[in-house]
Amino acid sequence: MSSETIWDKLQNIDRKVFYWILWIGLMIPFIRPIGLPISIAPSTRDLYNGLLTLEEGDVVWINIAFGVSAWIDCMPATVACTKVILRQGAKLIVVGAYTDADLSWDKLRNSVPDFDQLEYGKDYVYLGYYTGGEAVVAQIASDIRSVFPTDAYGTPLDELPLMKEVNSVHDIDMVLSGDTGDWGDYYMRQWASPYGIPMAEIGIAMLASSYMPFYKSGLLFGISSSSRGGAELEKLIGEPGEATVIMDALSVSHLMVIAAVLLANIGYFATRGRRR
Amino acid sequence: MSEVYKRELVYLVTAVITVIMFVEYFFLGTWQLAETLRTYATIIANIALGLGAITLVVSHAKKIQRRAAGVWAFSAWLLIFLAISFLSGLAGWAMTGSGQGNPMYDWFFRYVYTPLGQTLYPITGFYIFSACYRAFRARNIDAALLLIAGCFVILTNAPVGGAIWGGFPIIGRWFLDYGQVPGMRTFLIVGAFGMLAYGFRALLGRERGFYGEVAGGE
Amino acid sequence: MAYPTAPLEVLGLWTGWLLMLMIYSYPLYKENIVFRWAEHTYIAVMLAVNLVMMVTNVNRIAIQPMLQGQIHYIIPIILGLAMYTLLVADYRWISRYPIAVLVGAGFGLGMRGVLIPNLLDQVVSTITPPAGGAAMDWFNFIYIAIGTICAVSYFLLTYEHTGALRYPTRLGRWFIMIGLGAYFGNTVLFRLSMLSGRAQFFLQVLKIIPM
Repeated sequence: MSSETIWDKLQNIDRKVFYWILWIGLMIPFIRPIGLPISIAPSTRDLYNGLLTLEEGDVVWINIAFGVSAWIDCMPATVACTKVILRQGAKLIVVGAYTDADLSWDKLRNSVPDFDQLEYGKDYVYLGYYTGGEAVVAQIASDIRSVFPTDAYGTPLDELPLMKEVNSVHDIDMVLSGDTGDWGDYYMRQWASPYGIPMAEIGIAMLASSYMPFYKSGLLFGISSSSRGGAELEKLIGEPGEATVIMDALSVSHLMVIAAVLLANIGYFATRGRRR
Repeated sequence: MSEVYKRELVYLVTAVITVIMFVEYFFLGTWQLAETLRTYATIIANIALGLGAITLVVSHAKKIQRRAAGVWAFSAWLLIFLAISFLSGLAGWAMTGSGQGNPMYDWFFRYVYTPLGQTLYPITGFYIFSACYRAFRARNIDAALLLIAGCFVILTNAPVGGAIWGGFPIIGRWFLDYGQVPGMRTFLIVGAFGMLAYGFRALLGRERGFYGEVAGGE
Repeated sequence: MAYPTAPLEVLGLWTGWLLMLMIYSYPLYKENIVFRWAEHTYIAVMLAVNLVMMVTNVNRIAIQPMLQGQIHYIIPIILGLAMYTLLVADYRWISRYPIAVLVGAGFGLGMRGVLIPNLLDQVVSTITPPAGGAAMDWFNFIYIAIGTICAVSYFLLTYEHTGALRYPTRLGRWFIMIGLGAYFGNTVLFRLSMLSGRAQFFLQVLKIIPM
């Protein structure tokens, strides 16, 4: 034991020490904000520019395929995109693929003041929760009413002015899928690829990696990655929101991760000779 | 005879439905039969949502019955709270057409389900931090490449990277926009081949795991 | 969003805060009774939400249309209920029929769906040279083309990675490692982003920072 060096000791720190450092470190930037500038990723800018091509009366389908647990990752970008869509004069249809979809819809509805100037049923509609994986996405493409005979509040679709003319994927002009899992794949395979409908992804950060080849091959016109993408979109529309606020905390926590990696590798190389 | 309707007929149903989906896509564009089958699949998936809940209820009921040490009280609480929240939601639905129509259910939904959901998943944030310290080491070229790409991306995703050195987001952005594409594209391609192979095996009745069959058993 | 004033909302906020502390007592301290209680509470309420959603949705998409005259909806309803025979050993085989419908539709749609976006589009995108003549565009094009070919060759599992395959597969593994490194970097963003949200909530409830 007497031959134990500082590096050996560092390699054997109790993991709870790390947890506490991270937890406290995350809070400091909220109390003392830093306000570092953020740059815009090309995929986020393309998403924003794609939304600006919408014309009055276009119908946009937003799929909320994330639960409350991923609100911080996907909701800020969804909110920013919704604001752009409504300001372009486009109509909105929102659906939710998680059982807590109603909560996500409430959150979206309350985070976008533009809804207050619009009329439910005419300018926007919430169809509610649906499940069934790829089969249900393909079925909505052929016949929306077979999956959503009514909206989430029990009103038959034919009684909603917006839905009178919307029967299938042919009546939709754009899709945005907010995802933590596979639903974006389903929409790409069953909507974007066979029908050529413009589609963008608002995903958790890992999906920005997984879906990058789809963006490169032109199937997705844009990708927003996690809260960082949300902050970039908030910057693009000039309305800082929830994502912008946590960017400083991300800076501190990411720095801590880098410090941990560096320290671990210095320790590893410092003790490697002795281990051999 | 029983083997026919317990096995062969089941494989036939899978194969026929798979072929119907193919025929619709490659030859017909839209086909009412395929649409009906998709609607059926959607309804079945919806009804099956309760299966997990029932399995869990049965599992916890058994723990209570066994008086499993250190566990049964939690199981009892789970079942009691499940019953209260489910029945309140059901009452809300019966009265207003939405579970949230019941104030009690709505309160549970907003102030118990939401914070717990938002709290449980980020726990992995703690683990990933300590894992970075304990496991993320450049032991060989493979690990070094992973580490380099990872660090540049981390310093690109956080605004602080650019504040430290303007090159971090430039290099990190290259990894995100181009560097990772061969690897991710490969996963897409080989995943697609895997799905086609797996699907054809299912079509031919050679793949049976999802029916709950085990080798040589029911 | 302002700090709530209605008593039930304030109670809800503090309930959420306490539940969060109970859950985080596990990583920050050790496994304990309050953590397990909060964990079981979450499972219970999540199941309740799932069940309520199932009842409302099945009623909306199957039962109501059936009651309005679309009698054939009885078929998926029976098939859906047949799924529950999974729980009864002697009749478990019945559940294979609804599973067959789900698997048949799933594979049929999945297999036809992956052909173009996952295979054809990816191959075309890999071999399509850049329209502009910028040197960096060409470098990226060659990097992606060579990288994809080598990385795909790594998955040629029916041949031993020796001889002509030795170097492309080894190179392919490096390209995959770079991809996984970027993926890891994004995973860090996702996890820490969620945890940042919780740290923010912790301070907001205590009124240390505005809500």
